[in-house]
Amino acid sequence: MNCTTVNELAAAYALGAIEADEERRVVEHLSTCDQQHSDVRSMIEAATLVPAALEPVAPSPALRGRLMATIAQTPQEHAAPAASPARQSREPQPMRSAEPRRPWWQLAPLPSALAAVALAAAVGIGAWNVSLNQQLGDRDAALRAVASADAIYPAQGSAGSGLVIESGEQAMFMTEDLLDLPADQLYELWLIDGDNAPVAVGTLSDTDGVALVTLERDLGSATTFAITVESERVDAPTSEPVLVASLGT
Amino acid sequence: MNDDRRTDARLAERIRSGDSEALGELYDRYAATALATAMRVVSARDEAEDVVHDAFVAVWRKIDRFDADRGSLRAWLMTVVRNRAIDRVRARRPNMDLEVADERSLLRTGLNPTWEAALGRTAASDVQAAMADLPDEQRQAVELAYFEGYTYREVAELTGVAPGTANGRLRLALAKLRDALSGSTAAPLGSSESMFSEDTRR
Repeated sequence: MNCTTVNELAAAYALGAIEADEERRVVEHLSTCDQQHSDVRSMIEAATLVPAALEPVAPSPALRGRLMATIAQTPQEHAAPAASPARQSREPQPMRSAEPRRPWWQLAPLPSALAAVALAAAVGIGAWNVSLNQQLGDRDAALRAVASADAIYPAQGSAGSGLVIESGEQAMFMTEDLLDLPADQLYELWLIDGDNAPVAVGTLSDTDGVALVTLERDLGSATTFAITVESERVDAPTSEPVLVASLGT
Repeated sequence: MNDDRRTDARLAERIRSGDSEALGELYDRYAATALATAMRVVSARDEAEDVVHDAFVAVWRKIDRFDADRGSLRAWLMTVVRNRAIDRVRARRPNMDLEVADERSLLRTGLNPTWEAALGRTAASDVQAAMADLPDEQRQAVELAYFEGYTYREVAELTGVAPGTANGRLRLALAKLRDALSGSTAAPLGSSESMFSEDTRR
C-alpha cells in the first residue's frame, strides 16, 4: 500500500471502518513511512467528534461499584507476568454473547475467555482473602471454608464473581458480589461433567454480603460449575450461564 | 499539554501503578460519554452498561500499552468502548478480534493536544449542529460506519454506491466536521468523492 492509498483511506481508517486486512496494511505503512501523513492525523482527530455529538448518559449508580469490584480482582497485564496467556484472550465476556448453537454446557472446549477469567480471578484470590480476613461476624464461615479448602476454583461472569471451594467430600460456592436479582428470580447452581446435562446442585437468592452455599453433591468428576438465573428451581437450565468456573484446572 | 491531557496522563500513570481509585476517577470523567456511545450502538441500556464496564476493565488491564506522550486516553477509551459495542452486535463484524482491534485503536489516539483541548470544550449541541449540516448521504455514511460498525465497503453496498464514493463521503464528512468545529487547522483535504486510487476502487 502506498502513501496515496493510505491517505485516501484515512477517514475510513480513523472511523474504524475498513476491512481488517486493509487496516493491517495501513498500520504497516504508517509505522514504516517517512511521510507525515497529516491527512491521517487530521481524520483521526475529526473522528473524535462523531461520538462527541452524543449527549452524555449518566450510568446507573451500581455500575461504578460493579466496575470497582471487577478491578479489585483483575490483574493488569504488566503487573501479572504469570497471567501472560491472558494477553492472547479477550477479557471476561458473558457467555451469552457466544450465541452457541448447542446447549452451552456441551460447548467444548470452554471458551478461551474463561481461561483468562480463571487466571484473573486466581490472582485476585489473595487480595480478596485479605479483605475477608479484615471482616468478622457473618463472614467467619466463609473464612473457615477458604482456610480448610483442598482446592479453590475461581468463577466469574456477567453476574459477578465467586469461588467454588472443595473441602474433603464437600463443595461450596462462595460469593460476595453477585448482582442482586428481582424478587421473582433466583440463581441456580449447576455441575456439569463433560457433555452430560447439567445437574442442579443448589440455589441462591440472598446476595447481601457474603453468600456461602453448600452444594448438594461433591464435585466428583464435574468439569464445570455454572450459575444461571431462573424464575424457580428447574431441572435443566433455561438460560445462558451468568457465572462459570472451570474445575480441575 | 493542556489540562485535560495532563489530568488524563496523571490518571494513566496512577492506573499503571495499580491505583484502582484512579480508574474510578477516569470512570467519573468519561463514563457518561462512554455510555452514550455504547447506547447509540447497542440500544439496550443494560447491555450498554456491560460494554462500558468491559471497556474500563480493558483499560485497566492494558494500560501499560498506552503512551500518554503519544496518545489521548479519552480517545483510546472511546475507541475501546466502540470496539466492544460493535462486538456486541458482532453479527455485523464477525471477523473482528477485540484484542487486535484494541491494539490498533491505540494507534488512532494521537491527537494534537490543541485539538484535544478544543474537543474537551466543545458542546455536544455544537457537534450535533455540524452533523446536521452535513449532506444526508455523508451523515448517513458516518453513522453507518461509526455507530453501526460497517466498513466503508459495506456502507457502499448498503447505500448502493461504489466503495470509492462511500469512502469519499466519509472523507468529506470528517473534513467538514473538522472545519465546522475548529476553523480547520487540518492539512488540505480531498474535495472530490471520486478521488480514489485503484487499490480502493475495487
